[in-house]
Amino acid sequence: MDNRIRTVVVLGSSGTIGSLVGGLVAQNSIKVYFLSRTLEGAKTGLRRAMTQARSEVISRYIECGDYDHLLESALQDADLIIESISENLEAKKAMYNQVERYRKPDTIIGTTTSSLSLSALADGRSPDFKSHFLATHFYNPPGRMRACEVACTEATDPVSYDIIKDFLKNELRREVVAVNNVPGFAGNRIAFVLFNQITSLVEEYGAEQIDYLIGPYTGRLMPPLRTIDLVGLDIHKAIVHNLREASHDHMYEELALPGYVDKMINAGFLGDKTKGGFYKVLESGKQVFIDALTCNYIPAIAPHVAFVEKAKRLIHLGLYREAFEGVKTANGREGEIVKDIFCKYIAYSYSLIGKVTKCEYGIAGIDKVMTTGFHWAAPSVIVNVLGGKEAVIDLLYARGFEIPDGIGREDTITEQTLRSMKYFIAR
Amino acid sequence: MQNSKVYILGGYQTDFARNWHTENKHISAMMREAYLGSLISTEVEPGDIDAAFVGNFAGELFCMQGHLGAFFINFDTCFAGLPTSRIEGACASGSLAALSAMAYIKAGFYDLVCVIGVEQMKTLSPDKGGDFLGAAAWYEKEANGIEFPFPKLFGKLGDEYDKRYGLDDKYLARISEINYRNAKNNPNAQTRDWFMSFEHANTIGAYNIIVSGRIKIADCSQVTDGAVALYLASEKFTNEYANRKRLSINDMPQILGWGHTTAPIEFAQKLTDSEKGKYVLPFTRKAITDAFQRAGVGDCWELDCIETHDCFTTTEYMAIDHFGLTNPGESWQAIEEGIIELGGRLPMNPSGGLIGCGHPVGATGTRQLLDAYKQVTSTAGSYQVAGAEKVATLNIGGTATTNVCFIVGT
Repeated sequence: MDNRIRTVVVLGSSGTIGSLVGGLVAQNSIKVYFLSRTLEGAKTGLRRAMTQARSEVISRYIECGDYDHLLESALQDADLIIESISENLEAKKAMYNQVERYRKPDTIIGTTTSSLSLSALADGRSPDFKSHFLATHFYNPPGRMRACEVACTEATDPVSYDIIKDFLKNELRREVVAVNNVPGFAGNRIAFVLFNQITSLVEEYGAEQIDYLIGPYTGRLMPPLRTIDLVGLDIHKAIVHNLREASHDHMYEELALPGYVDKMINAGFLGDKTKGGFYKVLESGKQVFIDALTCNYIPAIAPHVAFVEKAKRLIHLGLYREAFEGVKTANGREGEIVKDIFCKYIAYSYSLIGKVTKCEYGIAGIDKVMTTGFHWAAPSVIVNVLGGKEAVIDLLYARGFEIPDGIGREDTITEQTLRSMKYFIAR
Repeated sequence: MQNSKVYILGGYQTDFARNWHTENKHISAMMREAYLGSLISTEVEPGDIDAAFVGNFAGELFCMQGHLGAFFINFDTCFAGLPTSRIEGACASGSLAALSAMAYIKAGFYDLVCVIGVEQMKTLSPDKGGDFLGAAAWYEKEANGIEFPFPKLFGKLGDEYDKRYGLDDKYLARISEINYRNAKNNPNAQTRDWFMSFEHANTIGAYNIIVSGRIKIADCSQVTDGAVALYLASEKFTNEYANRKRLSINDMPQILGWGHTTAPIEFAQKLTDSEKGKYVLPFTRKAITDAFQRAGVGDCWELDCIETHDCFTTTEYMAIDHFGLTNPGESWQAIEEGIIELGGRLPMNPSGGLIGCGHPVGATGTRQLLDAYKQVTSTAGSYQVAGAEKVATLNIGGTATTNVCFIVGT
């Protein structure tokens, strides 16, 4: 059988992920159909794909159309179908009826969902559909975030997995991480558990102070609440909710959404898309922050904490371990918050080895998703800058965390560790 | 002393895709990473280092920091009291730093020298940065008041080829496409995740506008933050080092030959002077032939690949005939026949070159040398040229004013 993917269909190409992933396909001179409810929607996606590529010539490989006119012939032509329509089980199942009807046998179907159950999506489909169905979870924006988690169901044919893995790796230049078929896969599960814990601190300490304490110097391109604004509080809530519903352990309690988040959503403070979430920029250009208690915006206070400022100065000079030596020994509640978040990130990530990724990967799979999916320093790199295995176990123990298995010899500084220092931003 | 050998022990390149200004890091942090990485990759003992040289063009202009040699002591106390210097020769600064280290080793003063090439360029807006880069030309005559002086000057290089021999810009587009394609294999290349195709490079559009003359965006090298550290060593030290690492000194790469010439700084004068000669840039040609002669290389076909300066596609077009892949003015032929592509008879820039890998001005010469080292030690990974034993580098400063060519081999 010829496994080459020559033609791709993107369903839901008006959306950000659909259009940008489709654009990556076109960048490789592979024909791709951009399908949407309306032709104009597909063309919006095309423009987005050209902006991502910074080139108009990719349009030569893209054919836009709406479902009414182009779906049938496009599906008949496709070697790979990337389904990226709205995150709604019924809508997706209705679309799969059409896919089932027109697709060729052996055409692979990848869904970009990370929150809906793969089994529920595949329920009722033909054996051939099921054996070619898997999740291809891209991160946004795919031009900068190279991670792609691939999850299979029990019915997925390993050949389908191999074909899609090679395509994602070699053509779309993705960092492919095989993940287990679990809610949130690896990346969203870890990140949104962290995000939720961080949002629970806002009522007491304020949004500005929390993003300052857990800011880019702690190994992330963007502060956490700022990231939630970018994602949208409604999406954040939906992901946390889905993760919680699928949890049957202590995570159920940990994933309780703070009440003020609902108040913000009800007030229309969804983040960047409504020009106001945790952050808001006034017409005057002044930045203000949400007061979680009143749901009103309050002026910035420009926090200044000595250990944070010292860490930033040392990172500015490339002295990373020295920077985090000061964080480890920081006294006071601010220091405790930072250390708690580091510990949670490490403990939770390592505890998921074997649960969200295969055991034999060790921490490497999770590391890859967190770096190339979120631009966060990998859990193993945080262990490294905090002084290595023994130092981190001491830190976890002192804070009452269960010590996970799998923390290895992350205390050695390698060329790869040095390359990861880009995630520690001196701001 | 002149016949004493100088070896390369390896080194480390920072990821050229990084923006150290966004990371809010000092230029010395970049040097520190290159230094630490080079210790890891080479397993050189810091206490064995005798001296250090820094290649840097314009730290004072881009980040208000000169005197870069003084920072070594901040990286390692072993540098306390050791001689360090910063060398400047525009885009050839990195090669000049290596040449300086080499001269001291050949003279018998030092056995092990650390060479770091570094430039932090993303601190400035494109127009301000472009203006500062004009200092590598004769600023008052060639750059003052001109928005992007170097694209203009290297556009004129293409015009000169066009005038003397004819030049179809599709060959420049092919050079761009090949460099971007090669860069996709290089995990340290700035453009490894960028889109480029021949069609794009060959088409003027909203995303591929004309910068100056015949130079479009796709014809340009990148504005890059980057540092590269490498070690040059005497035969005596290399023997000990090879023994310690259970290697044979015969497998250790050495600088087999070098050429270093300086042409008049003004580009128009270069062209006037060369009007009656065979080569458009005879001093660039001389740097190459000097290196060939010192290395005992008869012609370019004894090389396995070339890391050449391609600040613009026109520069690489020039390098093709100046290296002797074709007769003067016939560089298009080597492009058309696929000679310079990976898998071709003499690949150029398997790393992606300045267009694909990036061009942190003062680091480029050291990056080329490190890539030459990687090729001849078969450690270039996904951009390895199979069986490479002899590799040339060509690094030019200004409008081919300072020209440095090295031949690296075992």
